[in-house]
Amino acid sequence: MSQDVMIQLKNVSKTFHVREGDGSSLQSRVFSFFSRKKQRQIKAVQSVNFEVKRGEFVGIIGRNGSGKSTLVHLMTGAYEADPGGIRNINGTYIRLSLGLGFNQQLSARQNVILNASILGMPLKEIREKFDSIIDFAELEDFTETKLKFFSKGMKARLAFSIAMHTNTEILLMDEFFGGVGDENFKKKADKVFKETVLSGRTIIHVSHNLKTIQQYCKRVILIEKGKIVKDGSPEEVIPIYREILKDIRERRSSNNAV
Amino acid sequence: MEEEKKQFSIELSPRWERVWLLAKMDFLQRYYGSSLGLLWAFLNPLARLLVYYFVFSYIIFKNQDPDFILYLFMGIIVWGFFLEMTKRGMKALEMKRYLLENVEINRHDIQLAHSFTVVFAFGFNILMYFVFCFFFDVSFGLPLLWFFPLLAILYVFSLGVSLVLSTIFIQIRDLDHIWEIVLLIGFWTVPIIWDQSFIFDHYRFMLYVSPITGELINFRDILLYNRMPHMDLLLYDLAYTVIFYLGALAFFKRFAKGAAQRR
Repeated sequence: MSQDVMIQLKNVSKTFHVREGDGSSLQSRVFSFFSRKKQRQIKAVQSVNFEVKRGEFVGIIGRNGSGKSTLVHLMTGAYEADPGGIRNINGTYIRLSLGLGFNQQLSARQNVILNASILGMPLKEIREKFDSIIDFAELEDFTETKLKFFSKGMKARLAFSIAMHTNTEILLMDEFFGGVGDENFKKKADKVFKETVLSGRTIIHVSHNLKTIQQYCKRVILIEKGKIVKDGSPEEVIPIYREILKDIRERRSSNNAV
Repeated sequence: MEEEKKQFSIELSPRWERVWLLAKMDFLQRYYGSSLGLLWAFLNPLARLLVYYFVFSYIIFKNQDPDFILYLFMGIIVWGFFLEMTKRGMKALEMKRYLLENVEINRHDIQLAHSFTVVFAFGFNILMYFVFCFFFDVSFGLPLLWFFPLLAILYVFSLGVSLVLSTIFIQIRDLDHIWEIVLLIGFWTVPIIWDQSFIFDHYRFMLYVSPITGELINFRDILLYNRMPHMDLLLYDLAYTVIFYLGALAFFKRFAKGAAQRR
C-alpha cells in the first residue's frame, strides 16, 4: 500500500447472520442449530472496492439501510469483514457520530484526556491544549460534569473539538456534520473545518444532506443495497442518486394506486 | 506546586500513557462513583471472611484454631483476585465498546488497563491482611521475597483466562452465567475453606489441574507460615502459566476482532 493511500477496501463484504428473536443466548443457539432456517442472512455490504488518498474529502451517500454506516464500521475494523476481504487504514482516526464515543460515567475532563490520549496526543500536550478544547466546544462550565448529564449536542461539540485539536489524520463523520450546535457554533466549526481540509486531513463524510456533500466533497460514492453504484464527482453522482430516489417514489405511488 | 508535580511524574511512552489513563479511568469509575469508594474493595472480602469464619469455625468444624481466620482470609483474597480478574476481564471489551467503535485502540491494552484496577484492589487487601496479622502471632521473614514472583504468576494466568473469556463472550453471551457456575464449583475445589493438607494426602492431581491451588498453597507458605514456597509447585505453575498465556494470546489476537459488533 503506498504511503498516500489512507483507507483501502479490497473485495470487502459484510454479511450479518440475524437470528430471529433473542439470538445470542446459548439456548437459542442450540435450537437454531437444528433449525437453520431461522437464521437470516443480510448482505449489508457486497464486494466493495475503493481507496481513499491522503487529503481527500469523500462523501458517501445512499438511502436508509443502504449500508453506509456498516461501511464506516468496516473501515475502522469495528466490524470484521467476511473472509477474503482486505481492509487497511493507515493513520489515526476517529469516527464522529452524534452522542457516541464517550464514557457516560466520567467527567468531560476525563473523557477529553482519555480520548486525546488514544488519538495519540502525549499527556503533556493534552494538558496544554485542554482549555482550548473546552473553550472551542463552549463547555467551560461543565468540565467536571459527568457526560451522562450532557445533551447530544454538547457531546457532539466536544467530540468535534477533540478531533480538531488532535492530529487525527482521518475523520469518519457518520451523519455528524451539519447537525452540531447552534448557528454560531456551526459558523465556527465551518471555519475550522475549511482550515483542516486545507491542512491535508482525510475525511469521510456520510450524509443524507446533499447540500453539505455538494459544498465540500470532490468525490462522492453512491451506495445502494450494499453495492457501490457510482464513484465520481458530485456532478456525476448526485443526479444518479436523485434518479434512484425518484424511481422509488414513483414505484411506491404506483403500488399505492393499484 | 507545579515543580513538585514534575518531580514525581515518570516519562511514559505514549502507549503506556494510554494504558495508564485507561486504567485510571476504570479505577475512578469503579470506586469514586460510590460514597464508600475504595472501601468496597475491602468490604466484600471482609463480609465473606466473617460469614465463612463463623459458619465454619463455630458451626461445622468447631475449629477454634485462631490462625484459621488468617488461613481463610488468604484463600479469599487469592481466589477473589482470580474471580475479579476473570469476571471483569470477560466484559472488558464490551465495556469499552464506546471506544472500539470510534477510535483505533489495541484490544490487549484494554485488557491490561482493566487488570490494574484488580491488582490495586488485591494490594489493598494484602495490606488489610497485614493489619489483621498484627493481632495474631505471625512472623515474617525471607520467604516474603517470593511475594512478587507468586503474584506475577497469578496475574499472568488470570490475564490469560480473561483473554480467552472475553474472546468467547463476543460470540456467546451465556458465558457470563456459565462462568459463574465454573467459579462456584472452582471455589470448592480449591482449599480456601477446607484444610489444604487433604490435597497432599488424597487429591494430588488437583495441584496440576490449574495453577490456582498451588499458588494459594505457596502464598500461605510465605504470608502465614513464614516458610519457603514449594519450589516444585512454583515451577510447575510458572510453566503452566507461560504456556497457557501464550496460547490465550494467540487465540485472542486471532479471534477478538469484531468486538464492537452488535449481536
